[in-house]
Amino acid sequence: MSEQATEQLDPIPEQPQDGWYISRRGFLIGVAATGAALALGIPLGLPALRRTAAGLTEGDAGGFASGTLDPFIWFKIYPDERVRIYLPKAEMGQGIHTALAQIAVEELEVSWDQLEILHASTSQADGNFRGTSGSMSVTTLYDPLRQAAATLREILRAEAVRVLDQPAGNLVAHDGAFQQADDPGNRITYGALVAGATQWQIPEGEIPLKSPSEYKVIGQPVPRVDLPAKVTGQAIFGYDARVEGMLYGAAVHPPAIEAKMRSARPGQAAGMPGVVQVVIEDDFAGVVARSRPQAFAARSALEVEWDEGHPWQQAELEELVSVGGRGGVSIQREGNALSILKEDSTVVAEYRSGMAAHATMEPQAALADIGSGGGRVWTSTQFEMNERRDIAAALDLEPEQIEVIPTYLGGGFGRKIPLSSVPSAGIEAARLSRAVGAPVHVGWDRFEEMRNGFVRPLTHHRLAARLDDQGQIEAMHHEQASGDALFGGFPQAVAGIVGFDFGSTRGAQIPYALPHREVTAWRRPMPIPTGSWRGLGLMANIFAIESFLDELAAEAGMDPLQFRLAHLPEDALGQRMRAALEAAASRAGWGGALPEGRAQGLACGLDGGTVVAEVAEISLDTDAGRIRVHRVVAAVDPGRTINPDGARAQIEGSIVMGTSAALLEEITVKDGRIEAGNFDRYPLLRMSEAPDVETILLEAPDGKPRGLGEPPIGPIAPAIANAFFALTAVRLRHLPMTSDRVQEALGA
Amino acid sequence: MEITVNDRIYEVDSEPDRPLLWVLRDELGLTGTKFGCGIGICGSCEVHLDGAATRSCITMLSSVEGKAIRTLEGLSSEGNLHPVQQAFLDEQVHQCGWCMSGQMMRAVALLEENPAPTDQEIETAMSANLCRCGAYGRIKRAVARAAEIQAPAGGDS
Repeated sequence: MSEQATEQLDPIPEQPQDGWYISRRGFLIGVAATGAALALGIPLGLPALRRTAAGLTEGDAGGFASGTLDPFIWFKIYPDERVRIYLPKAEMGQGIHTALAQIAVEELEVSWDQLEILHASTSQADGNFRGTSGSMSVTTLYDPLRQAAATLREILRAEAVRVLDQPAGNLVAHDGAFQQADDPGNRITYGALVAGATQWQIPEGEIPLKSPSEYKVIGQPVPRVDLPAKVTGQAIFGYDARVEGMLYGAAVHPPAIEAKMRSARPGQAAGMPGVVQVVIEDDFAGVVARSRPQAFAARSALEVEWDEGHPWQQAELEELVSVGGRGGVSIQREGNALSILKEDSTVVAEYRSGMAAHATMEPQAALADIGSGGGRVWTSTQFEMNERRDIAAALDLEPEQIEVIPTYLGGGFGRKIPLSSVPSAGIEAARLSRAVGAPVHVGWDRFEEMRNGFVRPLTHHRLAARLDDQGQIEAMHHEQASGDALFGGFPQAVAGIVGFDFGSTRGAQIPYALPHREVTAWRRPMPIPTGSWRGLGLMANIFAIESFLDELAAEAGMDPLQFRLAHLPEDALGQRMRAALEAAASRAGWGGALPEGRAQGLACGLDGGTVVAEVAEISLDTDAGRIRVHRVVAAVDPGRTINPDGARAQIEGSIVMGTSAALLEEITVKDGRIEAGNFDRYPLLRMSEAPDVETILLEAPDGKPRGLGEPPIGPIAPAIANAFFALTAVRLRHLPMTSDRVQEALGA
Repeated sequence: MEITVNDRIYEVDSEPDRPLLWVLRDELGLTGTKFGCGIGICGSCEVHLDGAATRSCITMLSSVEGKAIRTLEGLSSEGNLHPVQQAFLDEQVHQCGWCMSGQMMRAVALLEENPAPTDQEIETAMSANLCRCGAYGRIKRAVARAAEIQAPAGGDS
């Protein structure tokens, strides 16, 4: 730290007991009563929005924030040396609390055991931009977190300069203290600085951040911060939330995908054991009881009549989600692929992917304690602000009257994003709590979880390409149709303007360098609620494109690896794809001898700048039509890895979940109803069926961290399908590749 | 009636056909045991009855009288993690963690019956429990590691 920065320090004119001061560089500085705690926060995180919200531009002077401007993320340092980091991110198993803590600690220079990581409630931190999805948490917070942590450290340094009477440049920050560089015994801890300070000074100059070569915490396999509580059973999930005197609720849910409640009567429910109250309001019917089994039993006794709507059949839905006709939007166009392919296509193939459930092991759950003026809701959610908005609207309250306290999530995968087209455990608990005047917990059973949520939409793909004389792809067209993946949660006006659902088209673009390439997307809203599922369109689109690449390689008579390498772009991204493909192929022994009855398949994928290449090794039980995936080698380049062990866990998990989805999982509709109700009809992959996953982590030269939770789920299905082709010379073009479909394809 | 959970006796007055799972979680506040499917398929609710891994979601209260019930909360003693908990922590197995109570209880029951299981025996026993986050590789490693931690020093296992 240079002397110059000290000169730029700007004293805070007044020190509020409770509130935030906006620094000129856009941070929020909070100073509690003298000697109590020092806090520093980042408002919103997105610079443009942050300036708009603060009514400031970079050139403006700082000032005190109004009551509505709360930080997005903040740190708090206490006199007893505890350091709290309040995060706007849900921990659902992806290790995000650990990764973000590593990023912060790198610049803050505190020891790992001083840390407490908290997921802030909606009242502790405002901002409608909170939410955990899209593998974007590390990407978006890497810079702001380091800048905020460095700023906080320099605020502390300025005070240490005064107390230790040393120039700033002679003080080294280490393990939560400043020490004199040439006399480490002369030191003062952050806690002592906080306890003794009467006046903080805020550095307004540019604070240099560490170069990656200096990193001590980022890039290390630090153990997860949430696991000690999880191995002992002390971690609290939404289903586990408890308060004194709470009751249990259950609400009636539609039996069919288009069902609307016509009427509801209490029937025998009110007199059943343990029942406290039957609540029937408008199109809502539920019960409150002293125990959960009593609530479930009483719910079954309610007399409800439904208008079931159209008795949709699976085939009708598939016909609905088909490419062609009006409404196609071009989302990638180079050259004139359409006219070339109209003349003559060498290869044409169609692919489909089915609907899928998220099957989070923890079903939807919320505890609400609501009085006339509002109240609190504890719930497992990826979007606590939307949860608050929806609950407040359902109760005819203002959002500020509801505090949503996020808990740990027993799995998310997109399902714990509130969607107005499906019932919400938070709203149900809140309505029942208000009606009965006591805290009420609503935890769905597995049947509700399977049948009353939203699903991954159907997709349909038609691919066409022409090869030139050398077997190079001259032109390629990917036509893609999908139910909504993101737009299910959007206002229809917005959806109408954009025209295509940019969630369902994740992975739909052709990443290879071809003279003529075109992608056309059709948005096909479905009568069944659809929404985000890990990776959104990624799995279906990469299945189609990477299976088709394999078909083209076969047509050209080329090895699938060489064929891909021959079509890579000649830029930095192409280099990264080459590195990933070669690394995965090399580790997997691509082209080498395999045990009898085994074959390998290869696929590659891009998502949000993360590059993934996977090789799957399979065998086939021909009689049963069952594919067994023995081994998957994944080479993943997320740019920069914050926690390599956490990264490997995400890759392993993505690939196992992706294998499960690719082979087994399908939601089907019959007579307007979802057929599966539990894991008997919706099997998940078990340990005995799961592949061994070997992971190679690569880093991009630019060193920018990118997402990891979703990208590896893209290439697994085509890697399996391509291995199946290598084994049998038969193509599987419909996900999931169930034993029925395998047997059908083999002509059994 | 009285039930014995983690060596402690509790008086409960629930109806006899109430699933043990809800008695543990909602009446005794032992929320370490999780609900997953309610029909005995997924294993999230696994506890021990006289040492045997048992699905508490389909076990009626009336059937557990006089039996020793053990839950995740009863695994560690005096702040010391059970070897299975320690191994799951060492291998950083948990992702979301919801199924892991059942996974760890199943692993403990396996190792009590078979202190030195082969990889195949681990896979057979642990395939009864679902993990949506896909942590199977780490679960397998952690169970093997727990067996090593438990093996008596100088033993041949």
